[in-house]
Amino acid sequence: MNDPRTLRRRFTLGLALALALGVGGAWALLRGEQANLREELAMRRGAVTAMALDLLAQRAGGEGEPLRALLAAWQAGQPAGTEVRVVRLSGAQLEASTARVDVGELAAPRRLARSSPEDKVLFDRGQRLRGAVDGNREGGATKREREVERLPSGGLRLAAPLELDGAVVGLVQVDLPPEPPPRAPGPWRELLGVAVLLGAFWLAARMLPPRGWSLGLLAAALLLAGVGGLGASEVGRLEQDYRAAQRELSRHAGEVKAGAERLLAAQGLAAGPGLDAGRWDVDQMRRPRGLIGPSGQLVEAQAAAEVRKARGDATGALVAAGLLGLLGLGLVGSGLIYRFGRALVVHRQAYRYIAPAMLGTTVLVFFPFIYGIALSFTSSNIYNTGAPLSELWVGFRNYVAILSDFGIARRGADGALVWNYLNFYWTFLFTVIWTITNVTFGVTFGLVLALVLNTKGLAFRPIYRVLLILPWAMPNYITALIWKGMFHQQFGVVNQVLAMAGLEPISWFDTPFTSYLTALATNGWLSFPFMMVVSLGALQSIPADLYEAARVDGATRWQQFTAITLPSLKPALVPAVILSVVWTFNMFNIIFLVTGGDPNGSTEILITQAYKFAFQKYQYGYAAAYATVIFGILLVYGNIQNRVTKATEGV
Amino acid sequence: MRKLTLLLLTAALALPAAAAAQGARLVIWHAYRGGEKAAFEKVIAAFNARPGTKVKAEPLAVPFDAFADKVSAAVPRGKGPDVFIYAQDRMGGWIEAGNTVEPIDFFVDDALKKKYIPTTIEALTYRGSLWGLPLDYKVITLIYNKKLIATPPKTTAELYKVGAALTNKPAGKFGLAWAYNDFYYVASLLNGNGGAVFGPGTKPTLNAPANVTGMAQLQGWNKAGFMPAEPSVALITSLFNEGKAAMVFSGPWFLGEIAAGVEYGLAPLPGISEAGGKPMRPWMTVEGVFIAAPSKQKEAAFELVKYLTDVEAAKVLALEGRFTPAVKAVYDDPAVARDAQISAFKKQVEVAVPMPNVPEMTMVWSPATTALNKINAGASPQGALDTAQKAVEKDVAGLRKGK
Repeated sequence: MNDPRTLRRRFTLGLALALALGVGGAWALLRGEQANLREELAMRRGAVTAMALDLLAQRAGGEGEPLRALLAAWQAGQPAGTEVRVVRLSGAQLEASTARVDVGELAAPRRLARSSPEDKVLFDRGQRLRGAVDGNREGGATKREREVERLPSGGLRLAAPLELDGAVVGLVQVDLPPEPPPRAPGPWRELLGVAVLLGAFWLAARMLPPRGWSLGLLAAALLLAGVGGLGASEVGRLEQDYRAAQRELSRHAGEVKAGAERLLAAQGLAAGPGLDAGRWDVDQMRRPRGLIGPSGQLVEAQAAAEVRKARGDATGALVAAGLLGLLGLGLVGSGLIYRFGRALVVHRQAYRYIAPAMLGTTVLVFFPFIYGIALSFTSSNIYNTGAPLSELWVGFRNYVAILSDFGIARRGADGALVWNYLNFYWTFLFTVIWTITNVTFGVTFGLVLALVLNTKGLAFRPIYRVLLILPWAMPNYITALIWKGMFHQQFGVVNQVLAMAGLEPISWFDTPFTSYLTALATNGWLSFPFMMVVSLGALQSIPADLYEAARVDGATRWQQFTAITLPSLKPALVPAVILSVVWTFNMFNIIFLVTGGDPNGSTEILITQAYKFAFQKYQYGYAAAYATVIFGILLVYGNIQNRVTKATEGV
Repeated sequence: MRKLTLLLLTAALALPAAAAAQGARLVIWHAYRGGEKAAFEKVIAAFNARPGTKVKAEPLAVPFDAFADKVSAAVPRGKGPDVFIYAQDRMGGWIEAGNTVEPIDFFVDDALKKKYIPTTIEALTYRGSLWGLPLDYKVITLIYNKKLIATPPKTTAELYKVGAALTNKPAGKFGLAWAYNDFYYVASLLNGNGGAVFGPGTKPTLNAPANVTGMAQLQGWNKAGFMPAEPSVALITSLFNEGKAAMVFSGPWFLGEIAAGVEYGLAPLPGISEAGGKPMRPWMTVEGVFIAAPSKQKEAAFELVKYLTDVEAAKVLALEGRFTPAVKAVYDDPAVARDAQISAFKKQVEVAVPMPNVPEMTMVWSPATTALNKINAGASPQGALDTAQKAVEKDVAGLRKGK
């Protein structure tokens, strides 16, 4: 079909794209890993310095002349651009500072200036860290116990809480000068490799038979060779760099420890337990990472584990880039991209017309939909709404929690069944019962009324019709609230009617069944007019001669109904039933306003339950998973329904 | 056409910049309506008219229903106001979400804190920091129909007596109508017995012995039969207005619903005779004035916050807007002291407890309401509260599990 030249050209192009994606992507990702490594090393080095300094400040009593003397001595041994500030929260006091700006009138000790935004930031940071440490101790949500940020100059600013006798009294903040920028080799070697591979393909493609699959295989093999070759050399180098970084960190920790010991001795503060350098290489929660031993030596097992993890990450990046390249090769090589591009060009007028609609749908429908599904794979809740979703990723945990809990009921202490109304399957079961009964009720009642209204010669027909459509025309919030009032135990009209009949009043919302009946009555009231209107329209379009012919043949009225009326109604009724099922399944207002889930959440339907998870319990991720499950159920239902009705229509 | 669009764009971009250059202009969001709004705007006008200041405040009334969600959505993205007013119950959630509420400890010294009723400051304190200054508080108290009762009951023992005397079920008349199916209201009985929902910190304590005792007392009230069944807000209002309920436990929001011609008085909630006469201690909600974290003019914003919560403003808000201010000194003003309603709420707030401001509180409502419904239907308080406690513990753990 395709001539050899087109094929060759297409695959050469495809390979070029694939190499750009695969090799280029892998190169960029590995460079990113290396940058991450440098950043991590800088942060961890900084953390060791800051935590050691925090300990020194603590040993100096956290205030007064001893602290200032100690910091001044410490400052002497530091590179230019290093600055330390110690703040006491009570009285908003700048206790000590080696910052260049804090001289003269601003020299420590002084009260933090109310008019200075920088001072407020400093003070608030201290408050925040104190709140975090106290909250974490209390067992609240986990909060960062130290802070790190990059300064505009490229330097690092690290802050740690200053603790005395187990209570946070202030903060130690240290600014470190920027590190020298790294020397990164350009991508020349990789570019050369790509050129060689492309040349090899061009040559080999002339010798191979010009078939799609052989060219494709050759291109794929060359792509894999390229990505693999890059990986072999770069992953090894990354590993070496990682080892070097760990040695550097260990050396730094040892040095800091020796320096700290010298300082303490010089200031006459050496009392107390010996210093432990391992407690300075900490994560954001101030938990030691276990890489550095007490005297600064490397802990080999942890070091190997960290390197293994880095290698795993790098390999993952390579595989991802390789797959992306293969995808590109497949798309271009198979001609899909070409055909798509041609369609765009040929039908550009049509695409121009639908572009606004496509854009609107993408923004208003697809984006929220995809965002919701992404949310369902996270542990997003009120505590972490600020964090990016990728940090909260928990895979299928929410779905497993929802779908794998089969504890609908258990035996109570007295042997009676106790239902767990919060269980997904209970709510699902209730929703199905709710939907089926409602639709049955609505269709039956609507159809009967339509038949009555369709009677020939009925007086005042327009008036009846208007009256019967009224329930539909009222806002359903109002109807729901009126019905809820009618079922009130003491003052409701329903119980008053029961009382007139000599019956005991019923607490309608106290048992699941009676509570369900109130919602059923309300929704039935609201849904029959729709079915009635649909049926009435369809009834009026049935030709009268069909009935005439039937009467001539001697058919009874029931036979006429089953053989003529019902089949003629089907084309109108089936879509109405499908719609009504979907509406009722998600009939939020009625359940929420009438029963509110009473008693004990037994009359919740899936959609109200999802609402409660999202907006009463603030478990956004879990609620999103719940909503996605509901979507799945309706999708399956819609498909089956569609297939069944089509099959019958074909007959 | 393109030129026109460009022109419009430039104008749109340039306008705010031009406005900012004229001195600090603070946008403040509130949810007040009617008389409250008029009084509030008067205070803002007085703030703007102070001599020698360039700081101008611009009030914007945002509908109450949408208020909290608007703050959650707009403020962290820097699109919100500089200052906003809201009750403390959402505060913890905003602080946890971050970049919404600005801590103000830095601006506040102890002398300033002492100017307010201590519990109102406590209500706006979270994780050891103060996040706003209290403007006013809302608390439930006893509201009675003067035609039906001369002196309202001071203890629950008296309540039983008076309640029974005024109840005539076949005629639909009741001694006391209140939302005893709403945990917010019932908490006054639990707190009065020394109960609490959390403590220490955010540890749920729904099934603490004091809470069980309080619920048992509520069952006693139920049995005595001086309260209507399934008391919805609409039902309570209509019973009181028709003279069919002699007493109501409700807050300032109820006063606006009382029909003209009904003569009513306010008194503190009764003491609990079973607990040795200790007072019922209702939950109070405190409206805090908060500075938005992304605001560029925090110093000026604090000036406004301080002004709004100070005595001068409070006097106007109390007398003209029917506020119940949190600043203590306003109650020394003769005109305010003469006002029976405001004094009554002040008396009640002295025994009130701030409603928890931690976001975990949202986990409590649903299980607590379930337990309350069971207890009102006659179930054992201990069992119902144990179940609720388990549910709250599970939800709180689920919230914190995170990753």
